[in-house]
Amino acid sequence: MKLAVVGKGGSGKTTTSSVIARTLARSGLPVVALDCDSNPNLGISLGVGDEETERLISMRQALDEGQEEHAPTWDSLITRYGSDGPDGVRLAVVSRIDNPEPG
Amino acid sequence: MRVAFVGKGGAGKSAIAGTFCRFLARRGEPVLAVDSDPLPGLALSLGLDIDDDVRIPDEAVRERAEGERGPRFRLVEGLDVVESIEKWSVRAPDGVRFLQFGKVKGQAESGQRLWKSQMAFRQITRDLPDEHWHVVGDLPGGTRQPFTGWGSFAKTVLIVTEPGAAGILSARRLARMVELDNVESVFAIVNKASQPGDAELVAERTGLEVLGTVPWDDTFADAERRRRAPIDDAPDSTAVREVESVVDRLASKGLVTKVGASS
Repeated sequence: MKLAVVGKGGSGKTTTSSVIARTLARSGLPVVALDCDSNPNLGISLGVGDEETERLISMRQALDEGQEEHAPTWDSLITRYGSDGPDGVRLAVVSRIDNPEPG
Repeated sequence: MRVAFVGKGGAGKSAIAGTFCRFLARRGEPVLAVDSDPLPGLALSLGLDIDDDVRIPDEAVRERAEGERGPRFRLVEGLDVVESIEKWSVRAPDGVRFLQFGKVKGQAESGQRLWKSQMAFRQITRDLPDEHWHVVGDLPGGTRQPFTGWGSFAKTVLIVTEPGAAGILSARRLARMVELDNVESVFAIVNKASQPGDAELVAERTGLEVLGTVPWDDTFADAERRRRAPIDDAPDSTAVREVESVVDRLASKGLVTKVGASS
């Protein structure tokens, strides 16, 4: 199953996603939680803590900075740059904006 | 004064920014309220009909000629930015003028037409001389847009945040990004505060001075359900009053310089 949660800011997308991810994981399914927000906060709702949420390197940053030499598979990206959360949910961040870009 | 409201999605930027504009205008100041969110909410909190589509028309915009520098689209020759505001902004209550770059109405709208209006909008907010209008911008939630050119008009940034962990983390990220830009003053505004100590928590975790603490207030949410501006729907609520105090505090810091005075 591939599920995307969308909606207006503040409507509860992150909270909803994290509860779905943990509930599925508790039923024994392997779950990857992908934070696709450029201001990623999913780690906080999943329960990995805000320090770990800030520490996670986004997969796009890793690719842009050339830390991956060959076109990597999703599996390898999630293994290398993801983080294990409660109930065995694997969290990965797709893209994070850290610096202003020229207009 | 050139102010940008930023913060995590749902923090309450639009409700606070619209109310802020109305109070600033009641001090006799000329206020241009600008919404650079493709899913705009500022109109409602200013007291306008949320379904109005306010945009700069295509015929006012031309494409960059060959060999010319700068953005691909700009206002046509002979059309200056002050004049464009007179022509295309909408009059909101208390004399506030409202300008936005148009709404995304579906896939057809996400293409070049909206892009033209957006480029002209950026030109107007950037080039508008300080002696005509205070510019107050409501920027989209999160960290993507504010510092990729859209917030570059701002000298003062107000970071709106709830006291929760995700809000504070977003506020910290925004505060870090603001340091890299040409901004002169940055403050936090705590919204939906419900516990004593919420303001101190935000100050401590973000390192920002808290300029206002807007309490959780049902009347704010009720105003939105009724599609009314909080300042009109609940003028005596503590939340609306606190936004008025934010304007007063900025003024007492000397940041609300009289428009028209030499700066």
